[in-house]
Order: sequence, then structure tokens, then C-alpha cells
Amino acid sequence: MTEFMGYVRPDGSVGIRNYVLMLSGTLYANKICDYVAGIVPNTISITHPLGRCQVRPDLRMTRRFLSNTGMNPNVAAVVVVDHFKEDGCTAYDIADDIQKATQKPVAVVNIRGEGGFVNALSQALRYASGFARLVSDYQREAVPLSKLLLGVECGTSDTTSGLASNPSTGMCSDMVIAAGGRTIMAECTEWMGCENWLTSRAATPEIAAQIVAGVKDIETRAMASGEDIRGSQPTGDNIVGGLTTIEEKSMGAVKKGGSAPVVGYLDIAERPTSTKPGLYLMYGPGHGGESISSMAAAGCQVLVFNAGGGHTSAHPIMPTIKITGNAHSYELMGDTVELDVSGVLRGEFSIEEAGQRVFDEVLATCNGRLTKSETFKDFNSFAIHRIGISI
Amino acid sequence: MKKVFVVEKEDNVGTAVGELLQAGETVGTEGRIKDITVTVAADIPYGHKVAIRPIAKGEQVLKYGLSIGTASADIQPGDHVHIHNVESNRGRGDLYAEQQQEE
Repeated sequence: MTEFMGYVRPDGSVGIRNYVLMLSGTLYANKICDYVAGIVPNTISITHPLGRCQVRPDLRMTRRFLSNTGMNPNVAAVVVVDHFKEDGCTAYDIADDIQKATQKPVAVVNIRGEGGFVNALSQALRYASGFARLVSDYQREAVPLSKLLLGVECGTSDTTSGLASNPSTGMCSDMVIAAGGRTIMAECTEWMGCENWLTSRAATPEIAAQIVAGVKDIETRAMASGEDIRGSQPTGDNIVGGLTTIEEKSMGAVKKGGSAPVVGYLDIAERPTSTKPGLYLMYGPGHGGESISSMAAAGCQVLVFNAGGGHTSAHPIMPTIKITGNAHSYELMGDTVELDVSGVLRGEFSIEEAGQRVFDEVLATCNGRLTKSETFKDFNSFAIHRIGISI
Repeated sequence: MKKVFVVEKEDNVGTAVGELLQAGETVGTEGRIKDITVTVAADIPYGHKVAIRPIAKGEQVLKYGLSIGTASADIQPGDHVHIHNVESNRGRGDLYAEQQQEE
């Protein structure tokens, strides 16, 4: 049985990191979170420009992203900081969500309630310091791979993505699922044109219907903004590059989800309630930051990001492994890309061997190996999906 | 010999992943199929597809082991496979939904 060394949380989930999270509830609390994370070891800051003057559905979305990110097992303890008590999305609401779902230690700092910025900073620092000492006692222990929830993503896609890195990642995903684990694949804009392949793998007719409805929904929403995302696919650039049909383009992307049965369908940033092994598809846009953040919010401990052109993308609390099938991209972007699987295209090793390399990198990262982006603390990919306008 | 890359055994096209394949050149296959050679009928740029088997008009064009469209003309091994001889099936979710409702 394949195992990895992780931090077992009170709710039974398993983290591959053991962070104290400084979670900003509103843009006005961002700086306090950043300052504290700059001082206290093993402490990560998550900030964003939202949480204020949003329409109700957006405020609920902001709360879901923030609360669920705090619930991610890579987070050992959380300090939530806010300024205004935005009705329906206060730091207390978020802390309460996290605490109830996971029983992990949480604390709240309200800037106004603390008597201003300086007092709030000092209180946040005090909480983070205490949590950092507390969680430093936590030890890794061996757990089965069935505890892993893997995220898969692609971006800066090129000709090599569909041929080498996405199929390799798909093999890795199949290996995780064969060991009892789960994989999430989001970005339903990219399922367009190969819905039939995904629905043919759906475990139930309900899931098949949800997949089709998800694509239709995001297409309709884009259309309401005047964007026809189906009619224009593949783009002129794609055709010049050799892509002939929308099916071909989408299948190249969807290959990263492997060939396992689709056992669940999730709303954006929703935490799966089922532990059934298999592929879970998640509603959401192609926007990399939002897509990655939605998978971290769902509880993915690690992400494999297929970046044909190379990428710096990395989520703050979900280690983000980048791979490419383009040797030139690896030469240019190798300081933030872990794996070069271009040897597949040159016949140096098989797709199976590449899949094994991706799997080995995932396992090593779960056991504590730092991603290249983690060594730079370049945590750039947190973004919250938006629905409506600011008010 | 230059190679085109074949993702799955079922595929009837390979993709150029190196330098330009020139018309009249004999190329081999790499990936899940390694033993086919074809003589390319036209210049094939990087990222473009070459037929590695005959594909009759109306048959599915297979890449990733899956249909990426229907041949709109008879395609010979070595032919450039692109928008001039493939039509999207569009696998359209909206059509699928309508079909489900009709059933």
C-alpha cells in the first residue's frame, strides 16, 4: 500500500503542510496579514481585494472561498482578520465555519474592535506566535494514499500540453485513484466539445446531466457579457498552430483528468462530502487563479499544473507542481517548473514512465519536498470567483 | 528519420513535434505507435497532424484515442489532416441535453 507522511487533522483529513494561516476577511486587513506572515515562521498570508460592498451572491462566494480555504488540511491553525463587520461574511463567520467543520484552532482579530491598526497588528502577531508554537509540536505520520485529494490544472497550454504533460498527469491521477485517492479537475470552459467523453465516464446519469449543465451555464454567463466562448473555438491562433476542432483542443486539456470514472460533480470551491475514489469535476471558469483557488478550497492538498509555456503559478497553501512537455519552456522557466517531460515526444521515455515521474514528484511533495515556488515564497495564485458587480 | 507523435494506439493521426516535415519526406512514428512510416504529401509545420492510416470520408479522426471530428474527404496515410478535411462533431453539450430531453 502506498503511503505518505502527513499531518492528521482533528477531522481526519491529512495535511502535507502544517501552516498557520493569516486569512484576510477584507481588503483593509490585507496588510496586517502580510506583516504577521513576514515575521512569524511557517505562517502564510492570504489576501484579496474583496469582502466589501459585494452583492449577496458574491459575498456568499467570498465567504465560501475564504472559509473553505481555511478548512484545507494543509492549514493547522487560522487567524482571520477583518475591519468592517460585513454582514454575512465577518471574520467571526469565517472563523466559525472553519472551526465547526474542522475543529482546528482559530482566532479572530477585528481592526476596529481592537482599537485600531497598531493594536490589531499586535494582537494578530500574538495569536500567530502562539499558534506557530502550538503547531510546531505536530508530527508527520504515515497515512494511506487514499487520504490524498489531488488537483489538476493546465495553463499556458501549447502543442506539447495535450501530447505529453496532460496525458502524463492523467496517468498520475489514475494511479492516485487506483490507490483509493481522489482527483479534482475544474475549468468547465475546457470541457466544451468533449462533454460526451466526460458524460460517458459519469458514474450516474445525474452527474452526466450536471456536467452538461455546468458547461451550458458558464457559456450562458459569458454570453450575457457579450462573449461567445463556443462559437469562436478553436481560435484563429489555434488553427494556425495545428488544432483543427474544439474537440481536439478540449480533449488535450481534459487528458490531465486521466481515464478514471467521474464519481462526483462539485460547485465551485465546494468541498466533496464523498470519499469515493475517482475523478470529481468542478464547475468554474478557465481563470487560473480562481480555478486553482477553488480546488484548494475544496481541500486539495497538492496540485499538478501543466504549463506548456512555463509558469510561475503557485497557490499559497496548496503546493503547486509545474510540469511541461516543452524543453524550450523548461530552459526559460525551469526555476519555477519542477518537471520536463519533453523526453516523451523525443521517444526517450514512455508516457507511462512520465506518469510515474509525475506521481513520484507528487508523492515526494506530499512527504515534504518543497516546490520551487515554495522556495521563493512566490504565492501568487489566490483569487476568488466573482458573480456580479460591486455596489 | 523525423517522427510524428502518436498519443494512443487507436489513433489514426500523428502530430509533428519537431522541425518542419517536408513534402515527399518519409517519417516514422513515436509514442504509443512506433512502427508506422508514411511519406508526407505536403509540408507539415510543428503542431500539425499527419494521417498514419487511411481514413475514409465519414470516418472518425482519432487523436488521444478519441474522435476529434469526422473526415470530410478520403484521407490517405501521409496527408495533412486539418480543417480542409476534418469537420467538428462539436460534441455539443447543448445538443446532448436536447437529445436527452427527446429520449
